[in-house]
Amino acid sequence: MVDTTTIRTRTAEPLRVPRYAGWIGKTVGSGLYRHTIGRLADSRPVRLALLAGVPLFWIAALHIGPIFQMGRISFMADYPPSPDGGSAYTLANYELFFSDQLYFVPFLRSLVFAAVVTLSTLVVVYPVAYYVAKIVQPKNRVRALLLLLIPFWAGELIRTFSVIMLLANRGAVNVALRELGFIDRPIPMLYTSFSLSFGVIYLLALYMLLPLYSAIEKIPTQLVHAAADLGASPFQRFRRVILPLSKDGIVSGCSLVYLTSVGVFAAPLLLGGPNTVIFPEVIATLFHSSNDKWPEGAAFSMLLLAVSLTTVGLFMRVIGGRSVRLM
Amino acid sequence: MQPVVQFENVNKYYGALPAVDGLNLAIDPGQFVTLLGPSGCGKSTTLRMLGGFEQPSSGEIYLEGKAISHLPPNRRNVNIVFQDYALFPHLNVGRNIAFGLELKGLSSDAIHKRTMELLALVKLEDFAGRMPDQLSGGQRQRIALMRALAPDPNVLLLDEPLSALDAKLRQQMQIELKTIQRTTGKTFIFVTHDQEEALTMSDVIVVMNKGRIEQMGDPNELYSRPRSRFVANFIGQSNFLEGKALSVDGSVATIDWNGTAIRADVNGTQPAKDSPTTVALRPEALYCLAEQPQDRFALKGRIVQRVFKGAHTALTVDLENGAQLDLQLDPVALSHIGTDDIWVGWRERDAVVLAD
Amino acid sequence: MRPYFADLPKTALGAAYWLFAVYLLLPLALMTAMSFKDASFIAFPITDWTLNWYAQVLQDKQFIEASLYSIGIALATTAAATVIGVWIALLVTTEGIWGKAIIFALACLPAVVPGLINAISMRIFIRTVDIPTGTTAIILSHAVHAVPFVVIMVLTRLRSMPANLVDAARDLGADPFVAFLRVTIPYLMPALLGGMIFCVLTSIDDFVRTFFLGGYKPTLPMLIFAKVQGGMSPEINAMATIVLIVTAAVGLYAERLTRRSRN
Repeated sequence: MVDTTTIRTRTAEPLRVPRYAGWIGKTVGSGLYRHTIGRLADSRPVRLALLAGVPLFWIAALHIGPIFQMGRISFMADYPPSPDGGSAYTLANYELFFSDQLYFVPFLRSLVFAAVVTLSTLVVVYPVAYYVAKIVQPKNRVRALLLLLIPFWAGELIRTFSVIMLLANRGAVNVALRELGFIDRPIPMLYTSFSLSFGVIYLLALYMLLPLYSAIEKIPTQLVHAAADLGASPFQRFRRVILPLSKDGIVSGCSLVYLTSVGVFAAPLLLGGPNTVIFPEVIATLFHSSNDKWPEGAAFSMLLLAVSLTTVGLFMRVIGGRSVRLM
Repeated sequence: MQPVVQFENVNKYYGALPAVDGLNLAIDPGQFVTLLGPSGCGKSTTLRMLGGFEQPSSGEIYLEGKAISHLPPNRRNVNIVFQDYALFPHLNVGRNIAFGLELKGLSSDAIHKRTMELLALVKLEDFAGRMPDQLSGGQRQRIALMRALAPDPNVLLLDEPLSALDAKLRQQMQIELKTIQRTTGKTFIFVTHDQEEALTMSDVIVVMNKGRIEQMGDPNELYSRPRSRFVANFIGQSNFLEGKALSVDGSVATIDWNGTAIRADVNGTQPAKDSPTTVALRPEALYCLAEQPQDRFALKGRIVQRVFKGAHTALTVDLENGAQLDLQLDPVALSHIGTDDIWVGWRERDAVVLAD
Repeated sequence: MRPYFADLPKTALGAAYWLFAVYLLLPLALMTAMSFKDASFIAFPITDWTLNWYAQVLQDKQFIEASLYSIGIALATTAAATVIGVWIALLVTTEGIWGKAIIFALACLPAVVPGLINAISMRIFIRTVDIPTGTTAIILSHAVHAVPFVVIMVLTRLRSMPANLVDAARDLGADPFVAFLRVTIPYLMPALLGGMIFCVLTSIDDFVRTFFLGGYKPTLPMLIFAKVQGGMSPEINAMATIVLIVTAAVGLYAERLTRRSRN
């Protein structure tokens, strides 16, 4: 067995003669391998089956399956089906949604909330993304970005929890305001729409930052220089060059934020109150109560899914200007 | 001697377009064979079919007598050197070369020995531990070659391996490749679009055009005896004299060219009387005299253009019979010319009748 | 040349950046600070400082168990998602496969579905196939969530691989499996590592899926949530800070690696 030897050249730099993994060859070159796996490898149908089998099964079972089952159950009257065998496929669950205000209102609230959050995040994050992408020196850009990404990896729960530190009655803001003499009694900020919005924007801001940053960074600086040369004012440069060219980033960022805020869960649990019930909570309660409510929960989930995907799809078409290429 | 590689009626279609059209080719062992032609002529496709990376649409390919069209690349005893070398970036030089050896189940000692032998062949023994991105273009090329030779194939395929190198390095590598071919005695099948390269290196040149073989032969034969207009034009430069065949006497044909009777070598053709015939004549085969010679064939003409090209000067001459010829004269021959009124001629055997 | 970007109020943008940075980091900084408070309730100002909470948390059996449980799930998730993700990426880049765009779109489906819906649909699904809530269900849902990201990362890298590399390996005697193992996988390694770290971190952080699919054993986020509902004390802050520091450090390191290699 050849070991790694060290050869010293005139330049006194040790060069290592590589070891050889002879055992790989022995396995692959051996008759046993050649006649079993080797034979398999040669046959294209076998290769195709191996290549496509597991992925397609996974996608069918775990990507499509759950949504499909959810849809199926949403049309059932009872789940689990009652033993007397009444097949009971019905639209009752969907009707319930439209008829009972208890469900309809939080649903709308969720959609409006998501839209407001998306817009606010866009407005807040765009200048920051622009700053990092264009104004910061290239060599400092990674560091500037990393600073902002620190919270990204901490997770939904921890970041939502940390907002409590800020907004609680004895949290930093209230205590600071009190110390400074602006108020006598703490302002109740938690468990309100304000805290919910604040928390959700806090969570999602970075989902908006990265696509925006990528898109803005790709805009060739020459273009803006050229516009300036041709007499455009700073505002015109922004409106006619930078904004349109960052369109892709805006679309992805907004889609991402919208879809996530429609389904946000930890934030309302920790930061929301009885007046801010949004749809995810409604759905959640349906699943944690008795089993009979599952079909309704499923129907509501389907509705939420359909509406949010449609909204995003429309948004992409209208603003994006052409159909989204997924590849 | 049985041919080491044989293509039998091989066709390759991409959709409706034939990339290779009715190819019949036999290659003898131990030769340096070049497939030469312009882009899209099918030379790379032919090579890839031999290597196993394309399947012929119809026909059969034989390697050392055995049919191999249905075999995948790893089961054929041919190896290929790619145009962009395709060295494995995550392995060092030694392991790149040893890759094929490892798959054969040789012992570590044997692999080590053979790798060092191959590295010695290109004088890169000290580079065994280097990574491919630390090598220069020429070094990568040599390593790619050694990697392909390591499994000891009888036929080595080279797909325009020198096209990425600069001129001087290219010439150096041409000599090295040729030497290695001679030393190892293997059949090299080389693809290029550079006719000079082909002439320098090959034992046999196969000129291809539009998926078919135009002509096959040794460099000399192809250069001095092109059989088609395409070959005459692709390799070197040529004057084309269009006329009508008058008579054939043994190996010499007499042609009526713009009213002048000229003679040319029959070159394997059988021109019928009064049929339109083209004669190819190389510019350097023409001689140029200040006065009409008594002992050889010459036509009167006038120089209308001179272009100095260093080692020779290119002249364009308008002839008495209305036609125009391009000549190439070296400085010595040029010094004998005074005015622009001159006499040009050629030896019979330097003009060849073309088949098309 | 005049820096035209200076026209837009550069200072204003810079201020926006720093304000944003403070906005992002302040709550976490406060949370960390609170973990040192020497009192049993959460309130500002902090007068006495102590490390006791950390000592307590690090010795807390529940915390250790939850951490190990989270890590175990994360590793299983990573293994599954990486294998499936690479497999899908290969399928989508192979020639002659029908419906590649559809397959890719379906592979990315979990990423465009809101998190809650993902959790709910998975909850329904496991009921219909008789899988109980608990570890397996959690791992499946985490893996499903991570697969689209692994697919995209691997696809990007795979697309940049010169086609000749695999051809060269085949030519030298490797069958498709060996070529995959010895050439494709080493080439994909940077993307694989990035993908794996992503899987680990998102799995540890996940809350909504674990909430709906979990059994009796809590993961770290579930433990913290339960403690929050039971009454706030700086102990929770200590726990959260530990998780924050570990995950942020790993995440930043990975991000730095991928951005460096891309530049």
